[in-house]
Order: sequence, then C-alpha cells, then structure tokens
Amino acid sequence: MKQQTKSHTEARLELVALLAACALFLSTIEYMIPKPVPFMRLGLANLALIISLGILSDKEYFILLLLKVIGQALITGSLFSYVILFSLAGSLSSALVMLIVYKVFKEKVSCVGISIAGALFSTLAQLTVSRFILFGEGTYVIAPPFLLSGLVSAVILGVFAQMFIERSRWYQTVSGAQA
Amino acid sequence: MKRPTFVDIIIFIISLSISILSFTLYTTLDGALEVHVTSGGKEWVYDLSVDTTETFTGPVGTTTMEIKNNSVHVHDSDCKNQICVLMGWISKPGEWVACLPNNVFIVIQGTVEEAEGETADEISY
Repeated sequence: MKQQTKSHTEARLELVALLAACALFLSTIEYMIPKPVPFMRLGLANLALIISLGILSDKEYFILLLLKVIGQALITGSLFSYVILFSLAGSLSSALVMLIVYKVFKEKVSCVGISIAGALFSTLAQLTVSRFILFGEGTYVIAPPFLLSGLVSAVILGVFAQMFIERSRWYQTVSGAQA
Repeated sequence: MKRPTFVDIIIFIISLSISILSFTLYTTLDGALEVHVTSGGKEWVYDLSVDTTETFTGPVGTTTMEIKNNSVHVHDSDCKNQICVLMGWISKPGEWVACLPNNVFIVIQGTVEEAEGETADEISY
C-alpha cells in the first residue's frame, strides 16, 4: 500500500515537472523571437498553464506557476532585477483569474475564454505595476497597444490550447487519471 | 474544434471593448507636441520642435536622448539589451520609447489647443 502511494506522488511530481519543462521550453522559444515592440509578449508559456487546469490540482497548479516565473526569470536573466515584478504580477493575476474562470464556468467555457481572461488581467496587472513603480502617470500611453496585442495573442493561444486538449491522447490519459 | 461557447464570446467582447475604449486616451491632442521624460521618479518636459540633446542617469548608467527635426530617439544608453536605441525615432503623440533597465521613459504628448486662453495661466501656475 505504502509503495503505491509513493509511486502516485512521484507520478504527480513528474507531471508538474513535465508541464514546467514545457513552459520553460516555450519561454525560451519566445525569448528567441524578435519582438517588434519590447515588453509586448506572446505568452507562449501560458499554454502549459491553460492545459494544466484540467490536469493538476490547485496546489500543483500554483507550484507550476512558481516554477514558470522563476524559470523565465533565469532564462531572460531578470531574476534579481525589478523586471521580475512585472512577470510576477502578470503571471500571478492571470493564473488566478484563469483558475477562477475555469472553476466558475467549468464546461461552459473553453480554453479561448480562459486565455483571453488571463491575458486581460495579466496586462492590467502589469500596467498597474508600471503605474506605481516605473513610469507614473505616463503609463496610460502604453495601455492601448498592450491590451490589443494581448487580446490577439490570447485568442491564438486559446484556440491552440483547445485543439490540443481535444486531440491529445496524452491529455486524455492524464486528465482521466486525475487525483 | 468545438464552437466557442457563450461565455467565451462574453469574455472576448469585454476584453475587446476595454482595448478599444483605451484608445480614446489619445484624443483631443492637437496643440504643440511635448516630449515627457520620466526618470528616477522625476519628470522633464521638452518642446519637440526645439533640437536638443539631454542625458539622464539611471540605475545602470546614462541614457542620452536626442530631439532633432521634430522627432526624438535614444541616442545611446548604458543598458545591456539596447532595445531603447533600436526603437528608433518617434514623432507622433502617444508614441513612446523606454529603457527599462535604466528606468527612463520617453513619451510624446500632445497639448490641448489653447481655445480658452488659459495656457498662460497654466504656465505661470
């Protein structure tokens, strides 16, 4: 019995690690893509978070989130600069909103809606951080293009995530075996 | 793929309206253009039509801004990624250049035309 419990814990751990690795891989890819305007990001790593909603428990979901933020900071070299505040604020608020939307609407919402809600709150949180820490009142100038580009990339990522969870056999297996 | 659900569409519409509404922040700016620079909690204002070169000191060194021919750009900066320099020249209201590592934010703002004759008061105020 004891042996079984342990292997189950290990399997869950592996699942979180796999998703975190996936998030970091996507972060690296994104880091390599040149951006037309700095700070405008695709948020590819959020794919892992959106997909994990149906697989992980709440606790595991937040561990994944933390791993994503720290890993991204290591990749971009911003771990000990204040740029990580943006990343943390954006990731945390979007992850919370995505979880809430997922829990409240369940079957009534697809990955597209979850993704858009997450992106909106990520942008709003980052603008708030920017307003109070960096740029002051001038922040409103950068808001519109940020919001719009966030929406566009969120729709694309949401559609991709939805297609993935509908077709992936791996996803069917792990989400079926949820603890 | 499944068709988007009702909730998806509601979330999309909310997000889209916030994005579109935010663009109204740019309106009613038709007077002279000003260059606002925020650095280290202070703000400077320059006239976009007067050529000048200014240097700002931030956490990683200095950032030099150049105003020339009604445009402004970051001429050089001590930051590692040089994104601010690569952003090039800007000249329209609402356009901005920022150097995140060095905490310098440059934005062009319009001023409302002096229709009510209050500009002098604002300056003296």
